[in-house]
Amino acid sequence: MKKKHIALTLGMVCIILTMAICVQMNTIQKANSTVVGTLSENGLRDEVLKWKEKYDAIANQLGEEEKNLKNIREKSTQNDSTSTEKEEQITLNNCLLGLTKVEGTGIEMVISDDPNAAKSLDDIAKHIVHDADLRAIVNALKNAGAEAISINGQRIVNTTAITCIGNVIKINDERVTSPFTIKAIGYPESLIAVDMAGSYNDFLREWGIVIEIKKSNKVEIPKYTGAISAKYMTEKDR
Amino acid sequence: MIILAIIIGCVIGAMIGMNIPTIPYTYSGYLAIAIIAALDSVFGAITSSLKKNFDLKIFLSGFFVNAILAMALTYLGQKLNVDIYLAAVVVFVGRMFNNLGIIRRYYVEKIADKKILAKVEEVMKQVNKDDTKN
Repeated sequence: MKKKHIALTLGMVCIILTMAICVQMNTIQKANSTVVGTLSENGLRDEVLKWKEKYDAIANQLGEEEKNLKNIREKSTQNDSTSTEKEEQITLNNCLLGLTKVEGTGIEMVISDDPNAAKSLDDIAKHIVHDADLRAIVNALKNAGAEAISINGQRIVNTTAITCIGNVIKINDERVTSPFTIKAIGYPESLIAVDMAGSYNDFLREWGIVIEIKKSNKVEIPKYTGAISAKYMTEKDR
Repeated sequence: MIILAIIIGCVIGAMIGMNIPTIPYTYSGYLAIAIIAALDSVFGAITSSLKKNFDLKIFLSGFFVNAILAMALTYLGQKLNVDIYLAAVVVFVGRMFNNLGIIRRYYVEKIADKKILAKVEEVMKQVNKDDTKN
């Protein structure tokens, strides 16, 4: 009887111990795969991971609070025609500003570097996608009437800058790398015209850059995750 | 039976541990120190069972209380900006090596004793045979 007791408790203890060890190993493996670095960078890596976790937690919280706010607004404007109108206007404005996730008809484009860039004999820089290329394509899409655009999940809003920082491209202060998935909402027939003969896309293809484009009935574009602020401007009296 | 229970426990624990979600990276340091403390208790238990003074209550309380204390000390160290967990690691791992040494000595002596016993028995047999001959 007593031996049974001991065996049972020892088994439980072993379960807890091996479980803890496995969880720990998984955690460390995951942490190592998200940020790579040498041993001397461990402190910095710890710091980055901690901030990332904090940021994710707060971003989640923000999303929930926004949902709450929307619910409250809807509830309070239910039986009032003027405020319902205002509410609709706010929703539309948020869509235009890029503060909400949107969907609609449009196109999806994937642009990636020349797969043979390393083997080419001339300047390798000509065979990769640059920030200027993305700017030109975004410009062409806007010209074709795109209502919302995103590159690798980064919504293009009024304040968005597409810049080059060394070997990656920065959009909305987030790094993105090739392949670039560009999504745009608008009238698909006119959006797809950015790929016509003699377009900028054609010019890029000459350098071996691979561009795939397709029309879609349902394009989903995420919201802008940064903060929009107006520190220096105020409305002037009309 | 006890060994069977330990093996089954380890297998079940590994299976559960591989499938449950991971903990946040911020807390992985605490879990690591708790694991070290728990491992120390396990080796202590093996040593004491070899010495025939194993007590389940002492083992269980040591297993959990040591782990929790080690985590608390690590937390305190982080608040005071002193790496107290290093001290905990040194103490626990040092004790683990001590216990491993005791376990090793026990088994080495046991094997040596067996060899000596076998030899003595052989000699005795020889003597007995000689006795019957005479």
